[in-house]
Amino acid sequence: MWLWFAKLGSPRWFYELSDKWLPWLYVSMLILMSIGLFWALLIVPEDYQQGQTIRIMYIHVPVASISLACFPLMAVAGTITLVWKMKLADMVAQSVAPIGAWFTGLALATGAIWGDQIWGTWWAWDARLTSLLIQFFLFIGVIALRSAIDSPDAAAKACAVLAIVGAINVPIIKYSVDWWNTLHQPASNFSMDPVAPNPPEVWVPLLVMISAVYVFFAIALILRTRNEILQRERRSQWVIDLVAREKNV
Amino acid sequence: MFALQFSSLSEFLHMGGVYTFHIWAVYLLFAVFISYNLLQPKMVRRHFLREQKRRAARDEELASKTNTQK
Repeated sequence: MWLWFAKLGSPRWFYELSDKWLPWLYVSMLILMSIGLFWALLIVPEDYQQGQTIRIMYIHVPVASISLACFPLMAVAGTITLVWKMKLADMVAQSVAPIGAWFTGLALATGAIWGDQIWGTWWAWDARLTSLLIQFFLFIGVIALRSAIDSPDAAAKACAVLAIVGAINVPIIKYSVDWWNTLHQPASNFSMDPVAPNPPEVWVPLLVMISAVYVFFAIALILRTRNEILQRERRSQWVIDLVAREKNV
Repeated sequence: MFALQFSSLSEFLHMGGVYTFHIWAVYLLFAVFISYNLLQPKMVRRHFLREQKRRAARDEELASKTNTQK
């Protein structure tokens, strides 16, 4: 178990393993995304209240829920960096920040477009929306903090601390819809009952889209982490060999 | 449960008419988001490899020059 843990901390080991993972991830993303998009756009019936705009949900909900997973991931990677000084963990923490900012930004943008239709307003200072906006600024803050500190070790530590402290916002976003009266609706319960307000024909394609976007998230994170590994290990022999092996770049 | 909701392509693109722009704007943003986050790392990687190859070639050239001087 500890050997495995130590191995996983080795950037080279991760790089070579992810070579094997990536084709599978691409294929599963393609399959899940095709099924999910086809289902969401063409098969899901109109909502009795929202009409066709129900289709916005199949983008907004996966993106928003995964944006909430980015910050805890960054905090866990930050903790590993601080406690075990594992190099790979800091590379993951660095790579997840821009992806998290993208996810959060897209969740806000698609939410605004949807809100314009169902609430009649693009924006409201509601607890859910405001806490998600704070998460967006926190991601920008982590990125800015890293580029502001010259020493990579000091930057890694500072970003790890900010990621851990900032993670307090995640449960606030998650439960904001239950704790306060918000314009944003609370999460719906999945029901097996075909005549329930949220029947399987609505949430099964949503689950497909959530898995598709999760796989996409994994690919985006792995690609960025691999670049970070190459950049930081560029003087080691295995990267020099790898560069020499690459043709046609 | 698996019936298509639209009978023609134009009906599909029209999306009920009232919120056509909203729906397609969301899907367009999603497409931009997916493509950027897959293509950007590929560009970075290509740039890195080119840079390192150039550096390796330069080092080799330098090494061969110093060898001939000896």
